[in-house]
Amino acid sequence: MIISLNWLKKYTDITMPVDELVTLIGSRLVEIEDVEYLGEKYRDVLIARVVECAAVEGSDHLNLTKIDDGGVAADVARDEHGYVQVVCGAPNVAAGMLVAWLPPGSTVPETFGTKEPFILGARELRGFISNGMIASARELALYDEHEGIIVVDKDAAPGTPFAEVYGLDDYLLNIENKSLTHRPDCFGVIGFAREVAAISGHAFKTPDWLTDVQPVITTTGAVEAPKVHIDDDQISDRYQAIVLHSHGQAGQTPLEIKTYLSRSGVRPISPIVDVTNYLMLLSGQPLHAFDYDKVLALNNGQGDIHVRLARSGETLKLLDGKTIDLHTTDIVIASGDTPIGLAGAMGGFDTEIDDTTNSVILESATFNLYRLRSTQMRHGIFSEAITRFTKGQPAELTAPVLAEAVQLMSKNAGLDASSTVAEAYPTPSDNIHITVEASAVNAALGTKFATSDIVELLGNAEFDASGAEEAIAIAVPYWRKDIHIAEDIYEEVGRLNGFDMIEPKLPVRDFSAVMPSDFEQLRTHMRTNLARAGANEVLTYTFVHGDTMKAALQNSDEAYRIVNSISPDLQYYRQSLTPSLLTHIHANIKAGYPHFALYEFNKFHTKRHDVTDEAVPKELDGLAFVITDSKAKGVAYYEAKRHLDFLLSTMGIEAVYEPLEEQGDYPVTMPFEPKRSARVWSKDRSRIGVIGEYKASVRRAFKLPEHTAGFEIAPQALLALTQQQGPSYSPSSRFPSVGRDICFQIPASVPYAQLMAAIPSSEADIVITVEPLDMYQPPETDLKNITVRLSFVSMNKTLVGAEVNELVGRVIETVTSHIDARII
Amino acid sequence: MESIDTLRQELLDAIAVHESPREVLKHARLRELFLSISTRDPSERAAFGKALNEFKNELETRIADREAELENSDVESIDVTAPWDITHGQVELLPTEQGSRHPLMRELERVIDIFTRMGFEAIESRQIDDDFHMFGSLNFPEDHPARDGYDTFRTEEGFIPPAHTSTMQHRILKAGKEKLEAGTPIAAVSYGRVFRNEDVDATHEHTFYQCEGVYVSTEATLGEMLGTLKRFFETYYSQQLKIKTQPAYFPFVEPGLEFAIEKPAALGGAPGEWLEMLGCGMIHPNVLSAAGIDPTKYRGFAWGGGIERLVMLKYGIEDLRHFESAKLSFLRKFA
Repeated sequence: MIISLNWLKKYTDITMPVDELVTLIGSRLVEIEDVEYLGEKYRDVLIARVVECAAVEGSDHLNLTKIDDGGVAADVARDEHGYVQVVCGAPNVAAGMLVAWLPPGSTVPETFGTKEPFILGARELRGFISNGMIASARELALYDEHEGIIVVDKDAAPGTPFAEVYGLDDYLLNIENKSLTHRPDCFGVIGFAREVAAISGHAFKTPDWLTDVQPVITTTGAVEAPKVHIDDDQISDRYQAIVLHSHGQAGQTPLEIKTYLSRSGVRPISPIVDVTNYLMLLSGQPLHAFDYDKVLALNNGQGDIHVRLARSGETLKLLDGKTIDLHTTDIVIASGDTPIGLAGAMGGFDTEIDDTTNSVILESATFNLYRLRSTQMRHGIFSEAITRFTKGQPAELTAPVLAEAVQLMSKNAGLDASSTVAEAYPTPSDNIHITVEASAVNAALGTKFATSDIVELLGNAEFDASGAEEAIAIAVPYWRKDIHIAEDIYEEVGRLNGFDMIEPKLPVRDFSAVMPSDFEQLRTHMRTNLARAGANEVLTYTFVHGDTMKAALQNSDEAYRIVNSISPDLQYYRQSLTPSLLTHIHANIKAGYPHFALYEFNKFHTKRHDVTDEAVPKELDGLAFVITDSKAKGVAYYEAKRHLDFLLSTMGIEAVYEPLEEQGDYPVTMPFEPKRSARVWSKDRSRIGVIGEYKASVRRAFKLPEHTAGFEIAPQALLALTQQQGPSYSPSSRFPSVGRDICFQIPASVPYAQLMAAIPSSEADIVITVEPLDMYQPPETDLKNITVRLSFVSMNKTLVGAEVNELVGRVIETVTSHIDARII
Repeated sequence: MESIDTLRQELLDAIAVHESPREVLKHARLRELFLSISTRDPSERAAFGKALNEFKNELETRIADREAELENSDVESIDVTAPWDITHGQVELLPTEQGSRHPLMRELERVIDIFTRMGFEAIESRQIDDDFHMFGSLNFPEDHPARDGYDTFRTEEGFIPPAHTSTMQHRILKAGKEKLEAGTPIAAVSYGRVFRNEDVDATHEHTFYQCEGVYVSTEATLGEMLGTLKRFFETYYSQQLKIKTQPAYFPFVEPGLEFAIEKPAALGGAPGEWLEMLGCGMIHPNVLSAAGIDPTKYRGFAWGGGIERLVMLKYGIEDLRHFESAKLSFLRKFA
């Protein structure tokens, strides 16, 4: 919304510089996005009188004029009377009229600030020198009218700056509408001026016509008022209409009003429409004028207006010429049974005001803002009127604005009221009264206002507040329907005085230490350790394309589907994290990173789980990790396992790996190749997750190098494990440990873990630790040789060679008695 | 003329044993069948074309099965319990110096750290929620225009990927009620991922992170809210800061404010430069009531702001899209 500073100044004194004003408004009312200084464009434009005007011989449209600029313009050729010669092509130029003259050297305002500003000079036209130009509204960048020159309709001495006469030495404030959605009053210049006054600490006085909610309207009484009906109480609080007829004299919108319309971004159209738009901008109440003869013609000459919901299958041709299919939740205005307007949004084409219009029915009404909002979205109508209606204009406002419109129609549009006001107002709006305690205001804000301060602050914004002691009785003005409860008053007081005037203070509290949750701490620990292990943490989107899920062999029927995404990539909630990581492997390899690991902690969701007690889907936490090497041979599985073992070791967790084999159809495991993957368990059989390489089809779909593997585990399971285990400390022995390397040969089919499990961890009081050194499969055999280092340590003594030999012998005996192994 | 039936068994048998089963589709007689469509009697052309397509689909399915079978039989099992592969030897961790934590997570940890030290519990926000927690419990009536500003996604079932971490506010208030009535203020932050249904560009993301805070006591004031926020940012930037506010409208607070700080020296700020950091306000009585907290006895304040902005300002990151790009060229700058 654009608001003219000079227009505001007509209603309240503003003396501070514009930048201070912008800061003040920003801190106490609404953000101003930018400010445009209009005066620059009109600096050189002068009022001049046409003293002579004669057609140029041989031209069908040019006139040779002499103009009087009061001698003000410098460096311009003048005749003996001091007049300046200008050739003018406008059809309406005539001797005696006051015009806007652009002297030589001035820039045509229409081109001001563009890439190619047009600077006027003195040039020859048909043999005559023309100095500068007499300007049209378009050339003055006022509004789109170039059929003729602007005729100055105010009394002004030649030579007076044009900007001075029409208040164009102005600033346009571009207001950020969004933060005023709850303030319909601020969508009118008067309401905005009221706020500016009140936040500057001045009392505001709304013009009498706007506070008179039961105005008396003078009518010729020539016609009977039409009947008006609101067919459904839910769609409109109040509908008023009055008929006006031409009083015989053609109307004309004063130029100043036209300039205010155009400054506010509204195009002047016709005297009748200009009145409605002018009052809308001023008061925030949109009006609509229908051609009454056309309205009557649609209903057999009967004036019978209905506000109703559209019916299925109805259509309406709008003012802009488009025919729309009405929806059963659109509100329409109907003449009898025929829709003539889309309520609040746009009038109908068939009842449009035109040059022949002799009678008008003028509507002043309010409509259900929620309905209008859906109408606005459905039909893509973003007019100034609907922008205001969707803020919820108060029902009281229709009457004073209608009365003022009748006045202006008579003055500017050649129309007099010919009927009384027809009205439907099923439930008249109540006045709102609130009582607050001064101490409650101060308690909520942390301030020390006296009762009189509060009364004054509110009074400046025309709240009728009174009270000498604690209790303050407040009558809320009719235009502030957003004020309902005491808290709304606290806000008004704080805001009008400036929230920034409130002293920041810390709450007084006890000293309880708070820690991030155990889970958050564990996650931080894991995140840090995976980075230590050389992996890179990523964040990827919660939503995935159906194709990604399919490529990971997951069933999208079990995923929560997003139904309104504007991006096709965001179709489903992901059912595990791994597929998201896989989508980012190929691009990173292409970018020149051959060997890397990505990991992500995040949530995922699947319909496989029941909803929670709150009836919302269960959320699962995951940690996914993928490691890839576009150059390595080897078996990727073991690289992933090395990282997982490391991670678990930092938490003191020892994992058990079991072949995946029976994969099931659980989404997390689907991308993993069962023959080269494992389930990961804790020693006490808590499920930790899955680790492995990916199926060939998955590798193909995500363009993964063959050497790619990863894991997806449940950090919540690890949390439980770390919480179960207490601190695990055992004292180190004072005596040295002795190591022996031994090579076991076992069948290739026997898992490594089986050999490890067969090696005892102690013999009597001797602690035995095992560390793998080498694995080897002799060619052409189905055997493997596993070399381990056995370390023996006693808590009581230094072990001698013979003792160690005996221990080794016992270990070998134990192992060979449990599994098919021999020593080599 | 050749019929589909005479060819079917032959091709299916071929697929069952073929080492490259897709080759079977190139069978000369199959191609002839397709070529013959146009020469058939018009009365049977459509039916024949349809039957032929069905046949082809059947072959495709069998080929896919055979391919999977072949692929599977190629896969060698490994000893998943072993520490490394028998033919390739030991494996090492990746070099530490190339590892990195995500900058957003690092910053979020720092924010949580400061708030917990200030006495606020930290609770992770949900990524899927319902209308009640996202809007209803926060004083957003049905169809309220303020809902539009949130551009929420929806699932088929009507669940909502939350557009603000305030989706946790009702839960925090309800959970803290008992403690509050026993005399301990509710002090908590909720943090996590939120979603807006909008197009992505350098300054817009549909996925981002927020942190929101709630404080309720018998005597909370707007002045205390300003003091708390000021202290947070002063701690975060390790310097004294000027603050300013601007009125704003959020249905769940009354009054509602936008909160700005003077740009800190650490960010190259000069006096008079302001950074809008978050939205805040006094919790609306309806929001307290919805959680069973008596608004005539207790007052509270709440705030919420984005994490990305903190990170972008800190490092001078120019494009919001980097965060979820998973690009190593970006991530390793934070090694």
